[in-house]
Amino acid sequence: MNRDLRIPGIIRGPEIHVTVNGRKITAFQGETLLAALTAAGMKTLGIGQSHDDTRGAVCGMGVCYQCLMTIDGQLDQRACMTVVHDGMTIETQGDLP
Amino acid sequence: MVSSWHADVVVIGAGIIGASVAWHLAKKKVDVLVLEKSDPCSGTSGACDGMVFLQSKKPGVHLALAMAGRNRFDTLEQELDADIALQCSGGIMAITSEAELTAVNWFVQEQNQAGLGVSLLDIRQARELAPCLSPNLPGATFCSLDARVNPIYLTLAFLEAAERCGTRVLSRTPVMGIGLKTDGIFVLDTPQKTIETRTIVNAAGVHAPKIGKMVGLDIPITPRRGQILVTGPMAPVLDQCLISAAYVAAKYDPAIAESGHMGISMEQTEAGNFLLGSTREFVGFDRSTTLTAVKHILAETTAIIPALQDASLMRTFAGLRPYTPDGLPILGRVPSLPGFIMAAGHEGDGIALSPVTGQLIAELITDGTTCINLTPFCLERFSNGAVS
Amino acid sequence: MTLGIKCDTAIVGAGCAGVVAAHILADHGLDILVMDETPHTGGQSLRSLPWPQNPSIFTGLNRPGIRRLPGRIKTAPVPIMHRTQVIGIDGHLEILAEKNGKEIICITPQAVLLATGARETFVPFPGWTLPGVISTGAAQILMKGSGILPADNMVAAGLGPFLTAVSAEYLSNRGRLLSIADFGKMQGKLGMLTHGFHQFSKLLEGTRYLAKILGSKVPFHHQTMVLEATGTKELERVVLARVDNQGKIIAGTGKIYTTGCLAIGWGFAPNLELPLQAGCAILHDPELGGWVTAVNDAFESSIPGIFCAGEITGIAGASKSIIEGELAARGILEKLGREVDENRMAVLQRQRKHVLAFGAYFNRLHRVPDTVFCAIPDTVTICRCENITMGDIKTAVKKGYDTPALLKKALRCGMGFCQGRTCGPVINRILAAVTNRPAGDIPMLPVRMPVKPVSVRSFLQ
Repeated sequence: MNRDLRIPGIIRGPEIHVTVNGRKITAFQGETLLAALTAAGMKTLGIGQSHDDTRGAVCGMGVCYQCLMTIDGQLDQRACMTVVHDGMTIETQGDLP
Repeated sequence: MVSSWHADVVVIGAGIIGASVAWHLAKKKVDVLVLEKSDPCSGTSGACDGMVFLQSKKPGVHLALAMAGRNRFDTLEQELDADIALQCSGGIMAITSEAELTAVNWFVQEQNQAGLGVSLLDIRQARELAPCLSPNLPGATFCSLDARVNPIYLTLAFLEAAERCGTRVLSRTPVMGIGLKTDGIFVLDTPQKTIETRTIVNAAGVHAPKIGKMVGLDIPITPRRGQILVTGPMAPVLDQCLISAAYVAAKYDPAIAESGHMGISMEQTEAGNFLLGSTREFVGFDRSTTLTAVKHILAETTAIIPALQDASLMRTFAGLRPYTPDGLPILGRVPSLPGFIMAAGHEGDGIALSPVTGQLIAELITDGTTCINLTPFCLERFSNGAVS
Repeated sequence: MTLGIKCDTAIVGAGCAGVVAAHILADHGLDILVMDETPHTGGQSLRSLPWPQNPSIFTGLNRPGIRRLPGRIKTAPVPIMHRTQVIGIDGHLEILAEKNGKEIICITPQAVLLATGARETFVPFPGWTLPGVISTGAAQILMKGSGILPADNMVAAGLGPFLTAVSAEYLSNRGRLLSIADFGKMQGKLGMLTHGFHQFSKLLEGTRYLAKILGSKVPFHHQTMVLEATGTKELERVVLARVDNQGKIIAGTGKIYTTGCLAIGWGFAPNLELPLQAGCAILHDPELGGWVTAVNDAFESSIPGIFCAGEITGIAGASKSIIEGELAARGILEKLGREVDENRMAVLQRQRKHVLAFGAYFNRLHRVPDTVFCAIPDTVTICRCENITMGDIKTAVKKGYDTPALLKKALRCGMGFCQGRTCGPVINRILAAVTNRPAGDIPMLPVRMPVKPVSVRSFLQ
């Protein structure tokens, strides 16, 4: 990661941590999971129906369902519509190539 | 300008039965015209599950017809040169109570006597076949002949194959009236064309009574709504198609019939989605889906496959099954109206019986005889007072 | 047990139209319930940071009308049920919703206001499924909703003023914008500024965005679109190419940019799923942005008791939504037997006429020509959920599967998780273009409950 994508000068909520595929990443209370993943440089969030292509978020507003992940054990949750909480565990669905 | 067309056979309805009849006739070089009031596969055949299930049939003419129908599926993909997502991994009937277990025991014995190999399994054996089954179930039965297809692909494959053999399909062409000339020629009115033919096959499913009325026939087919739920794609956990024993057991134990447990069906499609069904409701032509049904189906199906609790409900739909009072389809010539042939009323068996129905109707038209006796399926059985 | 709630009016969507209507109805003493799928109030236009200590970084708040809204939202006692996804409405105005992803609730109101807003539309191109290709809306939401840049550097492409707005915002937040590719002509932009003259604020806003971009010296290409995006697992390169006056790509004009992020947006399509599921009649009008719900002067749809306001009655932006929110609220008051201020209605109708005139000009100008849809290469994925390509669609159309419902049967397009939200508007345009029919002849896919996927668990509670 070369540059911090978080825009400077913003007062954010408390710093928390979430775990994505076993990897701990930093997030701020109040932001969406998609925001936290974007800031952590994670663009590939899943695979396509044919299982040989990678997919990432598109619409960011709950419409395209391309950012579906398993969040705290619940399948098919949209990263863009989920607000992070401390200790959240996230897994990508399907084996990423 | 309304122009006139002619065809040897006019098939009314481009659902799975009409499509199969058309293809079987077209293969025998018969000139067929299919009339469809909206689009192919837009009615019941596009809103059902794809089960080709034998275990649930009562031994007798019903099971015999279903077994003959099942045999046709083995070569169908080759014959049609199309992918119909046929999966022949057998079927499971999940037993959910001790009372059902007793009833199913009798049923299995009768089926084996009738020549259908069905085995009764304890839950440990059943979970070896399908580990997703709840360990709390008393047991299950298994039949290796049960199979599933994609009903939409199959309908469209029948039609496309028929068209390759020269069949004409007129979509968005409702039949508005049928006249009969003295020389025995039917004249069908449609908004676009007038069509003349000597032979009509009424394959209009739940709309078959409307067509019957045009020629003065009373056809006892009633729409029976079946609501089906679709989950999001999940990792493959269920190879077999599955029904609950409540449906079959209710035939043997009135207490089960009154318990409110309805027979449910489950299958996981190639894409990983589960189809969960279904209700059996008489609500006219209303195709909407209801919260009550969704909750009921989910409660029953998650008790059988607990992993479904983690799934998402993605879609619901409802199809109108063409119900007949005795549960058998109406097939064959109508004696009072030579040239008018029935092929409708399959209720929930339309997909499974589609190949054999098409074959029998084609035999009837081209040879005059059929390899299976159609008498038990004739329309007159209802007017003889045999069935109320 | 399903929780049942009774109220006078249920409002679906806490965006501009929904919030304005809620406040007016609440001021009149009505019992209101507003439901919104997101955790915030204000919809897409009024999205802000979740941390209230920050001054708003969203410049759009300076528009009159909008400027007053956030304060009212904070102070007025209108209950808004967030994270509540409406999944269906039945003929007796009974609303089913999933709350917090956990339980199904049932609301029985006297009247319903649907204010479900709009989503972005796209023109698919080779490589648009690669991670790193996002919508311009997503880029903006990351910035103004979470204070995060979508990427260190990016290319922005598409059509219309939203592209300009997001590009300017990205630059303001010190993002490195490599290039902007606008399919439209520069003259179009100038024409829009003069048409916006009736709405001084819009003119000002547009000018400010343009000034920001021009001052940054970022290459701003007009009549340019994405030829392809490439990369092994994620986006690595974007190729932009010039188009001629018919919208056809001019060979040999390709220019390669190395970037991991491409923001695309071609305009908006109304979220019609709920009105369609409820059985509301729709109409097609290119000047309103295509298919929209049909409403009368009181903003009541063809289903008595269901009112519609905002983008779902025609794409024209936040100002129209605010006006219609108030008009629909007054329509509901009248329906429920309350007195309505006729003078105020007349003023609002006049204001609406102006924004509609601007909207019509805007939608005409940003109508993507059929040639663009015809020219999508056969290998391009159209339905992202089910991986259905342009070639698959063209083959199926040749076999006679020429409506969205038939294509869905033959190919499964629109059967995935998004239920055709992404590919639906594209497929309608492709069908019209390749079969040479007017877009209004291509019906919308039917919609059934649940209009969005819900967890099975919610139904088991």
